[in-house]
Amino acid sequence: MFMIFQKKEANIDASLYQGQSKVKEIWRRLRKSKGAMIGLIMLVVMAVALLGAPLFVSYDSAINQDFSLMLAKPCKEHFFGNDGYGRDIFARIIYGGRTSIGIALLATVASCIVGSMLGAIAGFFGGAVDNVIMRSLDIFMSVPDILFTMAVVYALGASFTNLIVALTLAYFTNYVRLVRSEVLTLSEQDYVEASKAGGAGGLRIILSHIIPNAVGVIIVNTTLNVAKIILYESTLSFLGLGMPSPTPEWGQMLSESREFMRNAPHLMIFPALAIVITACSINLVGDGLRDALDPHLKS
Amino acid sequence: MYKYVIKRILFLIPTIIGVTLIIYFVMNLTPGDPGRAILGSGVSQEDVDAYNHAIGYDLPFFQKFLNYLGNMFFHGDFGISYVTKQSVFNEIWPRYITTIELAFIGMFVSTVIGIPLGIYAAVKQYSATDTVASLVSFLLAAVPTFVLGLVLLFFFALKLNWLPSYGIPDWTGYIMPTLAISIPIAAQNFRFTKSSMLDAIHQDYVRTARAKGASERIVVWKHVLKNALLPVITQIGLNLGVLLCGAVVAEQLFSVQGIGSLIVARITLKDEPVIIAGTILISICFTVVMLLVDLIYAFIDPRIRAKYTKKRG
Amino acid sequence: MKIKKLFTLLLIMTMAFTFCTGCSSDDTPDTKTGDDQTLYLRLTSPLQSTDWQQTSNLDGNKITYIQLFEGLYGMDEASGGYYNLLAKDIQVSDDGLIYTVNLVDATFQNGDVMTADDVVFSYNLAMENSKFGYVTSMIDKIEAKDDKTVVLTLKYPYSAISHTFFTIKIVSQREYEETTASGGAFGTAPHTAGTGPYYVTEYDVSAGVKLAAYENYWQGAPAIKNVEYRVITDDAAAVIAFENGEIDYLCDAPLSEWANIEEAAGERCSLVKANDIQFLAINYSSPSNNGILANEKVREAIFYAINKDNIVQASTNGLGSPAYEYMVPEYVATSPKASDGKFATYDYNQDACHQCLLDAGFSEEEIAAGIPVGTILTYPSDTSPKGKAAVVIQDCLKQNGMIAEVEIRESAACSNDLYGQNYDLAIYSDSGNYDYNNIRQMLHSESVGMYLVNYKDDKGTFDWKYMEDLIDQGVTATDVKERYDIYTELWSYAMDTKTLLPLYHSAVGIAWSDRIKVEKLNPMYYHLTDISWAE
Repeated sequence: MFMIFQKKEANIDASLYQGQSKVKEIWRRLRKSKGAMIGLIMLVVMAVALLGAPLFVSYDSAINQDFSLMLAKPCKEHFFGNDGYGRDIFARIIYGGRTSIGIALLATVASCIVGSMLGAIAGFFGGAVDNVIMRSLDIFMSVPDILFTMAVVYALGASFTNLIVALTLAYFTNYVRLVRSEVLTLSEQDYVEASKAGGAGGLRIILSHIIPNAVGVIIVNTTLNVAKIILYESTLSFLGLGMPSPTPEWGQMLSESREFMRNAPHLMIFPALAIVITACSINLVGDGLRDALDPHLKS
Repeated sequence: MYKYVIKRILFLIPTIIGVTLIIYFVMNLTPGDPGRAILGSGVSQEDVDAYNHAIGYDLPFFQKFLNYLGNMFFHGDFGISYVTKQSVFNEIWPRYITTIELAFIGMFVSTVIGIPLGIYAAVKQYSATDTVASLVSFLLAAVPTFVLGLVLLFFFALKLNWLPSYGIPDWTGYIMPTLAISIPIAAQNFRFTKSSMLDAIHQDYVRTARAKGASERIVVWKHVLKNALLPVITQIGLNLGVLLCGAVVAEQLFSVQGIGSLIVARITLKDEPVIIAGTILISICFTVVMLLVDLIYAFIDPRIRAKYTKKRG
Repeated sequence: MKIKKLFTLLLIMTMAFTFCTGCSSDDTPDTKTGDDQTLYLRLTSPLQSTDWQQTSNLDGNKITYIQLFEGLYGMDEASGGYYNLLAKDIQVSDDGLIYTVNLVDATFQNGDVMTADDVVFSYNLAMENSKFGYVTSMIDKIEAKDDKTVVLTLKYPYSAISHTFFTIKIVSQREYEETTASGGAFGTAPHTAGTGPYYVTEYDVSAGVKLAAYENYWQGAPAIKNVEYRVITDDAAAVIAFENGEIDYLCDAPLSEWANIEEAAGERCSLVKANDIQFLAINYSSPSNNGILANEKVREAIFYAINKDNIVQASTNGLGSPAYEYMVPEYVATSPKASDGKFATYDYNQDACHQCLLDAGFSEEEIAAGIPVGTILTYPSDTSPKGKAAVVIQDCLKQNGMIAEVEIRESAACSNDLYGQNYDLAIYSDSGNYDYNNIRQMLHSESVGMYLVNYKDDKGTFDWKYMEDLIDQGVTATDVKERYDIYTELWSYAMDTKTLLPLYHSAVGIAWSDRIKVEKLNPMYYHLTDISWAE
């Protein structure tokens, strides 16, 4: 949900130079895509459920243990059954979504900001600056993400903020390349040349001309990245680097359910479904947005 | 062109130095030390310190870093593992090969499944195959690797008893780990190829070709594929990183003795020589694959080839 | 056409690579016929070394300590005693300082006869290794009197010396020195330097281990000739491997899947009480919340708030047992017993907990709002038994008016904080105690390592001298009954400090296939010589 708002705002920024009509045009095209609309509706429903969670299920029921209900099957009182500590899985899914999606969104935004800035600087200034940034990036990228993330989480300890830092480190590289190539194309455009000639400073040009114009590509990538990060979080949890107890989180729920997979599969099915549905919805919207932003595909 | 290749290969040296520096830096941040990890709880801090000193762990940051680089470049020596006392190279090489095997078979499988399907789905857009494949790929791209792996383990090893539940006793051992890591990637490749193909199909020159009366086969093979596959090839190269990440999970789950699970296990023991050497090998592989991708790119796209040739002058 | 060419090229390259690398590691599984049958066991991670001094996880010790090497004493875990192994007999001087050991006629796997020199060599080797300080620090010197007699002199009388005789393994001096002289590190390759019933034939540090029976083993050739260890890291996969008959003997079976194992193994499985202890330590000197843990009543409240049954449910799937003593009395003859009623056990009691908090000076409102008591620190992962125990304790405290965070870290990273008293509450475990003197590491200020609670402080909070006197008395006394009384007194005092709370003893699940018969089940170390082929 946040994402949608944020996207709209970003689009408005983007269209400062091209007028409101572009946003409307994109929205019109987006509406025509069935997939994107399904995804969008799902995301809205989820956003309402997650944000309004305290109205229909209390946080206490997500963390209170009741061993008489250990591994209980789904029933009327507990829609999704109970986990290995007898905690209500439904409540944990709802509150876990807040953590998982929250981490994914924040990490995406952070990596987007860091990566875009670096990419814009590299692309805009070119020459030595570009070389230093891109070669360091090459080195950085050749270390597998997973090692980085693991080492960072080991060093700092697993917590909400530290997970975001670790995920940002793993994901910002995508943006650098993306934005840099975008900037290289844009720098040759007339209006950027004109601003340069008009004596505008580098940072000013980056902020007022280049970033807004590269925003389309960034948005599509950002959307798809959120889904990737949600999946990546679950891998981290599998390796024992998830959120600390008792905060519910989807990946952590999955990794906790592993040992009960054979005898109480519902422990795994529900969080897995939550992840799959969320990631699918986000991908649907992302694909729709990409098509809507790309005039070639109009037909 | 050759000059370019040599330049790229020479860039491996700063890459190795950079990777070593990064790993030393990050390991420096993580708590714990090998002495305590190896000697256990019943040992005094003085003895732990003595142990760390004996293995050279307590040297100052840069000295340790330079020593390691010196040994590696001038003596081809990756050091001795703190934990097993084995030569690091002997210990990691077979595991490295295993992981690379997994990753490349995964790459192969995901490419062979994902890309032709993607091309077909784009050419026959809105056909039944397209709809089914799109739907399935959508779901599979969103399943965490370890869930997929567990489900495979459950069905193929337990329920059907077709495949070994652990390790790689023979070729059947490759099936589950490679499937677990390549299915999500195949789904991604499918989606990527399809959208890239659709992009190309809607380009003006394709319409022109059609209007000129070229047969559909020629249009697809000659005009569309060539342009659509360029970004796909880069994607295949970049997939290697994701495959290696998946390999860590698959190795753990299917008890495959690969480099990923080794590094993960040794991070907790702070076995720096093994972690660094393993990471360096992985980054070399990654760099070489990216170089290959660039060369293939140049091979297909004359514009880019021209750029390299120009650089020579 | 270029595209087609490229495709073919790509295909060929990938396939070529796959085959090149693929073929090298292909080997056909061995066919099992008659006497060539192989016994398959699981390793949770690759064996780190073939040297007993260097294996540092239990899984590895199970191979090196029992199958490859032998000590002067063996250990009968099930009945809590030691028996003569490489020592034919041991005479102790009246002052308890001089041990004269007569050796049996054993040979090393390389054919050499074991002599007193080998024993002296092995002991000196272990004494130089700080890792074994806990079993060698009391030894003054060791000398060979003749070929078959060794004289061991202690610095002070030490009744727990049996554990030293068990722990230190005898290695062939000739082979060890030959290996190191040729530049290799002992333990990185197969060797025949032990007197045990099996020797290593194949050892690959990145994969499994193969053992073969030592036909001239001094106690008679083992029944099973070939043994292979397979590395299976994942628990679920290990259970599946057992069910599929790929593993013959599964020890430390995952407890969450015990129902599946029972179904597959029928009569051929058993649960044994583990010789371990998971306990809660409270750092009374922690600065957390203005030193709230210094308040004895708060510590007592924490003790009463903990529901051990719930922890047993979560951590051991209900198969373990709540603990009241530090060591399992079944396995440690001199261990205090809760059934004697001579020390406090702090059973789960919500009213008592509430009363303690009131006594500590907190109001009903403060208790209702939750009193922060600090962070529960444990290791190694949140899905491990100790991690789960931490989560349960956190909830127990919450339901009784106390708030705690949980922090789960990797073991090596955790231990420095624990030994440095840099924690509030910690869940720790100890295992393999066969003599109550091991309690020394927890309660004696001169012990190294696991001194989690700093009893010896400047403020004189506790009578640490009294405890240390009792420990010294316990280890010098020789009579079992006398030691039992001393240790009961000691544990009673330790419980009164309200700093250590035993939580539970785990369970060890063992299952085996219909191909084999197993004579004896042990909580920790299995003996391959106890296994034979079924008819």
